[in-house]
Amino acid sequence: MEKVKVMVVDDSRISRMMVSSMLAKTNFEICAMAENCSQAVALYAKTKPDVVTMDMNLPDEDGIECTSRIHAIDPKAKIVMISAMKDAKLIMRGRMVGISAFLQKPVSTNELIDTLMIMCKDNVGTVATYRESYVTTFAKVLQQTLMQVFGVQSEIEIAQEDSSVLKVDGVAVVVGIVGEPKGRVALYMDADTMFGLSRAMLGMDADEELSSDEAEAAIEEAGNIIAGRGVSSVNDVFKDREMRVTPPGTIVGSDIVLSNPDLIAFNIKAKTLYGDVFMNIGFARGV
Amino acid sequence: MDVKLVNPFIDAFTTVLPQMGFSEPKRTGMSVKEQNAKSLGVAVIVGFTKEIRGSVVYNMTEETAKFIASTMMMGMPVAAFDEMAQSAISEMSNMLTANAATNLTALGLEVDISTPSLTVGADCQIKISNEQYLTILMDVDGHQVEIDVAVQ
Repeated sequence: MEKVKVMVVDDSRISRMMVSSMLAKTNFEICAMAENCSQAVALYAKTKPDVVTMDMNLPDEDGIECTSRIHAIDPKAKIVMISAMKDAKLIMRGRMVGISAFLQKPVSTNELIDTLMIMCKDNVGTVATYRESYVTTFAKVLQQTLMQVFGVQSEIEIAQEDSSVLKVDGVAVVVGIVGEPKGRVALYMDADTMFGLSRAMLGMDADEELSSDEAEAAIEEAGNIIAGRGVSSVNDVFKDREMRVTPPGTIVGSDIVLSNPDLIAFNIKAKTLYGDVFMNIGFARGV
Repeated sequence: MDVKLVNPFIDAFTTVLPQMGFSEPKRTGMSVKEQNAKSLGVAVIVGFTKEIRGSVVYNMTEETAKFIASTMMMGMPVAAFDEMAQSAISEMSNMLTANAATNLTALGLEVDISTPSLTVGADCQIKISNEQYLTILMDVDGHQVEIDVAVQ
């Protein structure tokens, strides 16, 4: 995979060092560092980075003005705003000069890498972008939701891209994703795991009566929460995405094949003490 | 659920299928249901959201799915409901729902649609609503397709 060139614009030496240490050992390579607007414009022209991280507060001009000047040289320049403030007014001003991604300091390594990956999708490749950005985000949300909703710890494994069919014995909750990219999330598990998790959620003992309908409703709610939160985490960074979820459809039965031949899909497995919980995330090809 | 919301789905079905080489489909039934839909063998779920939120299921037997896939592929024989045939049925569901979305927009209800999810297996129930939903039966060249529509 080709290296992706990043220019860091920030007046604070510590902030510049932090970004460069986060990107060490990744596919991103710092090609330039600028501490003010005029330096940034000159270095952009000289080094032609693939993506720029832009601080809001610079000694000569602000990050918005600096973005406009870079766009004057290269209208296609990709710029992510990193600032201590992230309010509606700043986002609006940023969008007006063509900034689509906004991060707030302190930025976590994952957040920064995910954001740069999505912005540089064409350099990095679609499959890698989906996997590294969206799928890892959803995996985190799956683990958090299993803990918060069911009170259960889990061990997460993300498989390589695999668009073959899913075999479902038990329950599957399918939630559609609209916006860009389009796709769907399927949360599925066998009936024993469904009952175990639902009892844990409702604080019931193993011998207490729980109907299939109630257990299915619990899993449906979890699927809904995971899809909604996953999409929100992506939207939170990318203000022009506006991905949204459709209402869940719940499939119950045995020997069901769930397929979508036209998706780029990934499987996430969460091992829990009640059994394995699977989540498949698929995105439409050709987005 | 408002009955007038199913017309965009029926209109989509009767408009799109003739363009793919089928005779004009006929509506043979419509009813309100509360229980989960039972898969007839092949069922495709497509979600939609924006001004109204809901789901639509296109439900049919595997025989019907193979007939539709074969007709869509210019009469190419479809012996097994394989990946190619599944792709055809997914694509049909996508086209039908996209067309229905356009019809909904004409009613002032803009919606965005998700990618279709296709299930194969007769021992399968599908729940798309906590409340009532509408089922429409359509006849296409002697084959039955059930359309279930739920709007929140």
